[in-house]
Amino acid sequence: MTLLGSIGSAVFGRWLATTGLIWLALVAISAVAAPLIAPFDPLEINPIERLSEPAPPYLFGTDHFGRDTFSRAVYGARMASIIGCGSVLVALFAGGLCGMLSAYFPQLGHVLMRVVDVLMAFPALLLALVLMTLLERSVINTVIVIGIVYAATTARILYGMTLKLKGEVFVDAAICTGAGHSSVLLRHIFPNLISPLLVQASFVFAFSQLQAAALDFLGLGLPPEVPSWGNMLAEERIYITRAPWLLIFPGALIILTVFSLNLVGDAIRDAIDPRFRGDIAGV
Amino acid sequence: MPLLDVSELEISVHSTGGDIAVVKGVSFQVNKSGTIGIVGESGCGKSLTSLAIMGLLDGSQARTTGGTVRFEGTELLGLTMRERRKIMGNQMSMIFQEPMTSLNPVYRVGDQIAEALRQHRSLTRKAARERAIELLRMVRIPRPDERIDCFPHQLSGGQRQRVMVAIAIACEPKLLIADEPTTALDVTVQKEILGLLRDLQEQTGMAVVLISHDLGVVAETCDFVAIMYRGKIVETGRAEDVFSSVAHPYTRGLLNSIPPVDRDVEVLNEIPGRVPSIEQNVPGCSFHSRCTIAAGICREIDPEFSTVSGKHEVRCHFALGSNNRAE
Repeated sequence: MTLLGSIGSAVFGRWLATTGLIWLALVAISAVAAPLIAPFDPLEINPIERLSEPAPPYLFGTDHFGRDTFSRAVYGARMASIIGCGSVLVALFAGGLCGMLSAYFPQLGHVLMRVVDVLMAFPALLLALVLMTLLERSVINTVIVIGIVYAATTARILYGMTLKLKGEVFVDAAICTGAGHSSVLLRHIFPNLISPLLVQASFVFAFSQLQAAALDFLGLGLPPEVPSWGNMLAEERIYITRAPWLLIFPGALIILTVFSLNLVGDAIRDAIDPRFRGDIAGV
Repeated sequence: MPLLDVSELEISVHSTGGDIAVVKGVSFQVNKSGTIGIVGESGCGKSLTSLAIMGLLDGSQARTTGGTVRFEGTELLGLTMRERRKIMGNQMSMIFQEPMTSLNPVYRVGDQIAEALRQHRSLTRKAARERAIELLRMVRIPRPDERIDCFPHQLSGGQRQRVMVAIAIACEPKLLIADEPTTALDVTVQKEILGLLRDLQEQTGMAVVLISHDLGVVAETCDFVAIMYRGKIVETGRAEDVFSSVAHPYTRGLLNSIPPVDRDVEVLNEIPGRVPSIEQNVPGCSFHSRCTIAAGICREIDPEFSTVSGKHEVRCHFALGSNNRAE
């Protein structure tokens, strides 16, 4: 059974994980096809219709500028996907590289892993806040900051795994056939790290959503005009008693998305755990 | 000129009290097409010796602190990684004790054999695959054209070790170091692998360094033996000389502890005592604390090699007589 096959069967074998995957697919579709799905321009202001209750044509109601909440939520899915994918790329690339090299070259590791230790000594949100205050509010900076925050944990995980793999006999065996450092790292160690990286990716994606929402809420994340779920919460929080749907919908979207990511992540982790991968042909 | 000439090899490990030499003054030679067996109990330094020859001691725990290792006259110990890579896998290669972990779990076995080939020979993908099938056939894996696409976890331990052998001999090395190649396998599979190694040796004319703790295996397959105890070779010589006229009390002890198969014994023979910890500095002969014939001199002076007969040498003040057959 291939890796993809076993992940597939683990995800579709449980109804919760399947539901999660369907939800994530919906989010992804909204992200890609936002202009087609959203009935209104998410930035269009319409003061006459401000704070309307959820009813057609405003499915999720309107905010205090009269902007359509449903359209903003759909575009919010696009932001959520960009932030998620971007942070995962930054965290996995920076953290993965740092962890692998640190474990493989111990001298380098002494220095790099101490930096990682310092990063990990801060609570994630505090670290993100500190970094964001130094930078301008923008999508790319938010992605970089969240990526760096989770690069530290990724580096720790990969450091340990690379250290273990480096001690495996097959690495010595590869060196014995004349493989050099780059070949050992890329061809022999890295392929063994793809499964844990996949799991880590799903969790970094989930945490990046929470982190981005928190930063937006505190006014340090995406620029305020960008339609994101966190920004929607931040802007409309004062209307919580008059127009609660303005907070319920984006809040529910964040919860559902993070919950789905965790469910799918769990399924992937179970699928690639070698204890569940048993098809040994005893010959 | 011998193919491999190890001389006065010293290996040290780090510890809180400074470096400790765990392999001291190990010297032996391997001739072209020859087979040498290095025997000793766990921790005596035999594996470290083989790792040092292959340059696998990276210094994080153990490193080579003295001596020379010459392969066809080339000193290996000072080589850079780049220079060494040309020799490793190509001129000399190694198989390991653990067939379960010495193959990379994420690659098909065919790719792993092909990689060893493509590292040193400019073969096309197709040619490498064909050669890999041929190698699998040489190591007697049934249906090699199907097995080549198996992942390691789909093969049994014995088959994995055969694949390891195939990788090791892929580039027709002149020297193969086998570090306890059969320890993790069943006795029957063990016999097959040893037979395979011997046949391959006859076909290709490669020399073999066989590391083992099994005297029977060594007696059967090697023409030269070196017995190690606490990082030193204590007895060395042609296999038939050493086994027919054991000269060192340690070798005698090892032979005596092989349980007889022709009669029942209540209590197994053993060598009294335990190997002193490597951190302990034992003056005199390192075996004296367990030796049944030790005298005052053994506690003070570490014996040098003395010749028993021909190439048969021993480090003992009271080398046992040449007619002492092992019981």
